[in-house]
Amino acid sequence: MIKIVKRDQPSRAIFFFTPVLAIILTLVAGGLIFFILGFKPFEALKFFFIVPIADKYGFSELLLKATPLCLIAIGLSFCFKSNNWNIGAEGQLTFGAIVSGGVALLFYEQEGFYILPTVILAGAIGGMLYASIPAILKTYFNTNEILVSLMLVYVSKLILDYLVVGPWSNPEGFNFPETRQFSDSAKLPLLFEGLRIHAGIFLALAAVVISWFVFYKTYLGFQMKVSGFSLKTAKYAGYKGKKMIILVFLISGACAGLAGVGEITGPIGQLHREISPDYGFTAIIVAFLGRLHPVGIIFASLVVAITYLGAETAQIFMQIPKYTGQVFQGMILFFLLASDYLLFFKIKFIGLKK
Amino acid sequence: MNTNLKISNVTKIYPGCVANDNISLEFNSGKIYALLGENGAGKSTLVKILSGVIIPDEGKIYLNENNLKLNSPLDAKKNDIGMVFQHFNLFETLSVFENLIIDSDEQRESVREKIDAIMKKYNFSIDLDIPVLNLSAGQKQKVEIIRCLIRSPKVLIMDEPTSVLTEQETSELFLSLKKFSDEGILIIYITHKLKEVMQLCDEVAVMRRGKLVSVSEIKNENIESLANKMVGQNLKTIKKKKAKTSSDQLIKITNLNFTSEDPFETNLMDINFSVNRGECLGIAGISGNGQSELFQVLSGEIISEKNSIEFNNNYIGDLSPQERREYLMAFSPEDRLEQAAIPQMKIFENVALNNFKSSNFFNNGLINENKIKEHSKKIISDFNVNTDNIELKSQFLSGGNLQKLIIGRELITSPDLLICFNPTWGLDVGAINYIHETLIKINEQNKSIILISTDTDELLKLSDKISVIHKGKLSKIMNSEEVTSEKLGILMGGAN
Repeated sequence: MIKIVKRDQPSRAIFFFTPVLAIILTLVAGGLIFFILGFKPFEALKFFFIVPIADKYGFSELLLKATPLCLIAIGLSFCFKSNNWNIGAEGQLTFGAIVSGGVALLFYEQEGFYILPTVILAGAIGGMLYASIPAILKTYFNTNEILVSLMLVYVSKLILDYLVVGPWSNPEGFNFPETRQFSDSAKLPLLFEGLRIHAGIFLALAAVVISWFVFYKTYLGFQMKVSGFSLKTAKYAGYKGKKMIILVFLISGACAGLAGVGEITGPIGQLHREISPDYGFTAIIVAFLGRLHPVGIIFASLVVAITYLGAETAQIFMQIPKYTGQVFQGMILFFLLASDYLLFFKIKFIGLKK
Repeated sequence: MNTNLKISNVTKIYPGCVANDNISLEFNSGKIYALLGENGAGKSTLVKILSGVIIPDEGKIYLNENNLKLNSPLDAKKNDIGMVFQHFNLFETLSVFENLIIDSDEQRESVREKIDAIMKKYNFSIDLDIPVLNLSAGQKQKVEIIRCLIRSPKVLIMDEPTSVLTEQETSELFLSLKKFSDEGILIIYITHKLKEVMQLCDEVAVMRRGKLVSVSEIKNENIESLANKMVGQNLKTIKKKKAKTSSDQLIKITNLNFTSEDPFETNLMDINFSVNRGECLGIAGISGNGQSELFQVLSGEIISEKNSIEFNNNYIGDLSPQERREYLMAFSPEDRLEQAAIPQMKIFENVALNNFKSSNFFNNGLINENKIKEHSKKIISDFNVNTDNIELKSQFLSGGNLQKLIIGRELITSPDLLICFNPTWGLDVGAINYIHETLIKINEQNKSIILISTDTDELLKLSDKISVIHKGKLSKIMNSEEVTSEKLGILMGGAN
């Protein structure tokens, strides 16, 4: 007989084990899906998870995809830790990209060391501005930040669409919906010849370190921790709730904006319609898979980044649509939420005795 | 037909708390029964067991000698037990009629006729076709009652039904309940309001801390006797030595009002009092009469008018809790686990919740862990917290040790005024004595205390002056020597 018993207190070992369990279950279920589709499960999983990163180029691609995921997830962890449900990182990424792209276009065919920092800063500010909308509406008008931040995603995508088709479109671009290529001074430097991995990865690593420092070493981090556990306690301790809500949204927006900058000044080099394969949404999965912990998020971003790459390899070698990648991302989240049940309940196997 | 409901040896245990300890009760139709007790006494658990929401660990329930298996609210409905909860279970945007038929499988027309008949019989007038959100609280409650009556129940349970009603609505409700009872419906009325019990009921069962304390007929009881049974401790009157009366005023509350938008909160009306240095002002009352709101107004969780609170010659009504701490006020809230401390955080982190400038817990925005730990160790040894590991998560402390930690944390500022709310609630005798001694010591150091408590014994023991809060109003402030538990009982019941 199997009996489910409530735990007296959540187990710490289980806390770190469930993400691993979720990944294992995802692999099993993924193998099963491949089997049903008529592929050999192990071979398919190999194409999905091992082939893409087997060489130097593949590994560089992995880091390239993991960079924005990590950066955004770090930002989101500030929000989620303090019970603010910002799910509009994709919009903040897009708006950050728009603002920084606009600045980069201003410096078209110009050179100078100051250009890149300005462009990066503009992206962060753009993301912050965009994140401040749900934050201010939440604090002063009691709106639901989930709805507002989500809906603003589509607004930002439409603004981007309008700009690249209309006023910002490349005059020599034969009406393709894209802007001019940014000048080299506005682009993040590549780290290795022939690989696409760029200096944006340092932004992500810096975010990891800074967020660890803020979470665990500062008064601000302490207040966020307390508010996350209990708003009643935060109120009793006298923390300024509204200010903090706005602050975490700004941090989160800045990170998403920087991720946007990384994309357009890195591998893309211009603005067009498809600057992000939903990194902003996928990063929500990354944040939770990494348990909102800076180090956990690094690992989680690598795992989830593979699903992007694997989907592409699988499409090329096995003629499976690349949307399989999203299926895998969905499964990871699904199994993570399901196995979180184990945090609060344990399964007891009882013999057939009465 | 007579209805007989029997609860036999029912026990329900939650981790760390026995909500119902071997309760046996018998009810017969034709009478209205009161189930009386303070918040947390276990009455809600008991009625949830009767209505199938909670399954008891042990014990049986019999309706007319049949053993009932109540595994879900549906089972209760099938067995003709109807329940009206304190918080309404209605869909605000649906019409009254839609709400009424939502759990019915009968034909719409026949239900409508039934509802019309019920409304006519009991003189209810509610428009069935308007959305529920347009109804008053009293009307919503009638909808809930009609929903029970459609199923012609044998038993009707009302959980704290008057908490959201006006006086007028309350007396209407009582008339209806008496009518139902005359028609043979067995009525169980759950409340902590003594006056209502006296007005409405025939028999009363009192619960305290999960146990059944007494079952008696109303005609043999009065408000004071019930209050004593409810609050317990029939009163050893040990009092602390009367402090030398100082006339040095520390805090003065003037015309303080608080109006809540939440109908389940109590409004505070025209609160006036003052406390001198070295004095302990006790505020008695049955829980739910505005104590929580008063505490929050005093602590700064609820901001009031600047001039309504004068502390040490400063007007502080508009300051936040943290700012008030800088003026040397300290607060120990009622809820240890949800508010005063965070169980998932370590002991020293919980100490850091009381952050004041001179503590240096946080320097330039950085956590000064050494300083916090140093303070935590001091608190643990000074206040006899039974652990030496400040890295321990506070959920592993017993209630008594956690309360000592909280009081200790609040006292590290050596505040001029400590405001505490039910500081010994749920603690064992040893911890209670320790807390009481600590509070007495504070007074001896010429510091002041405002003690909001539902424990009469504690108040008589510790206070220099006592006032009673009832429905958000304070009684006049009395010297504690002149006060007896009987007198407090009367005031707590709402009499003058």
